[in-house]
Amino acid sequence: MAFDAALLELAATPTLRLYGWQPHAVSLGWFQHAADFADLPAGTQVVRRLTGGGAIHHGDELTFSLAIDAAALPTDVAASYRLLHDAIVSALHAVGVPCRRLDAGEHCGARPAQRWCFAEPGRDDIVTERGKLLGSAQRRIRTPRARVLHHGSLVLERPPLTPFVAAVADHLPTDPALRAALRENLVQRLADALCLPWHADRPTTAELARAEELAPGYREPANIARR
Amino acid sequence: MRPNDCKFLKSHEWCKIENGIATIGITDYAVSHLSDLVFLDLPNKGASVTFGESFGEIESVKAVSSLYSPVSGEVIDSNKNLPDNLEWLSQEPFGKAWMLKVKVTAKSPDLLEGAAYDAHCKAEG
Repeated sequence: MAFDAALLELAATPTLRLYGWQPHAVSLGWFQHAADFADLPAGTQVVRRLTGGGAIHHGDELTFSLAIDAAALPTDVAASYRLLHDAIVSALHAVGVPCRRLDAGEHCGARPAQRWCFAEPGRDDIVTERGKLLGSAQRRIRTPRARVLHHGSLVLERPPLTPFVAAVADHLPTDPALRAALRENLVQRLADALCLPWHADRPTTAELARAEELAPGYREPANIARR
Repeated sequence: MRPNDCKFLKSHEWCKIENGIATIGITDYAVSHLSDLVFLDLPNKGASVTFGESFGEIESVKAVSSLYSPVSGEVIDSNKNLPDNLEWLSQEPFGKAWMLKVKVTAKSPDLLEGAAYDAHCKAEG
C-alpha cells in the first residue's frame, strides 16, 4: 500500500503496477473503522488502504494499481471507472471469462451498506453470474499535481473470509498460462484505453525510498486503528 | 448559480471572506463529479489550516479525494452536522453545506474570481 502511495506522489509517467499478496491480508478502506473488524480470525494480517470503499480479503488475486495524472482520465469519477472497467472486461473476455460491467440503469446499490467491498455490487462494477469479480477504488489528490490512484483486485480463487465473491476460477483453471495471459491482456487493454504505449520497468530509487518512509502508516496496528 | 461574492481554487473549493473570517466549502462542480458521497472528514475547531494544503477528505462511492484550503488560519467553526447530511452538498453547496469557518491569516495567491473559475470548469469538462 505504501508503494502505491509513493507511486501516486512520485511516478513521473503513468504507471501500472501488478502485484499479489504474501501473506494474504485484509485491507481496510481509508474511512473504515478497524474496530468493525475485531471478529476477524486470530492472526489475520490487516493493512490500511489509501483508497476508499469496503474491506477486501486479498487471497489469490491479481491486484493492480494505476498511478496517473488526473488529466489523462475523465474528470467525472464514474466516467473514469467506465473507461477502465470496460478495458478490464475486454481483457477478461479475451481469456474466456464471461463478465460484464453493471450499467448505471440497473438495480444496484449506490451507497454500500456492507463492510466488505465485494458484498454488494454497485454501479459500474464488474460482475459475473455469481457476483462481483473485481474490487476497485480511487484516491484523488490535487497537490503537488492533480493525480489519481486507481486500485483493482481481480479475484482468481475465492478467499475464505469472503465466500460470496465471484472468481476467475469459477470459469477457468487458474494455471500459470492463464495468469500470464490475464496479466498481458490487462496491461495491453488498459494501455489501449488510455492511448498510451507501454514498456516494463522497475521502481526508481526515490519511489522505493518514499515507500519505506510511508510504510508504517499502512502496516502498523496503531496507525491502522486510528479510525 | 454560483454566488458572486465567493472566490475559488482550481481544486474546486470556494471561500467567502467577511471581516477576516473565511467560510469554506466545495463547489457544485466538485459535488457533481464525485457522484454519491458517503464520508466526510473535517478538522475540529482550533485546528490550523494552510492555504494549498489538505484540510480534510471526502469519499464518494468510488473515490477518496483530498480537500484543499483556500486560506491559512485557525478553524473557529466546523460544520459538524454536514458529515451526517451529505445530501446538503448537492442541495446547497454554497449554503448549509459550508464546511469550515477560518480566522484568516493568509490567502492563497491562486484564488480565482467567479468568471475565471467558470472557465476553468468548462476547460476540465
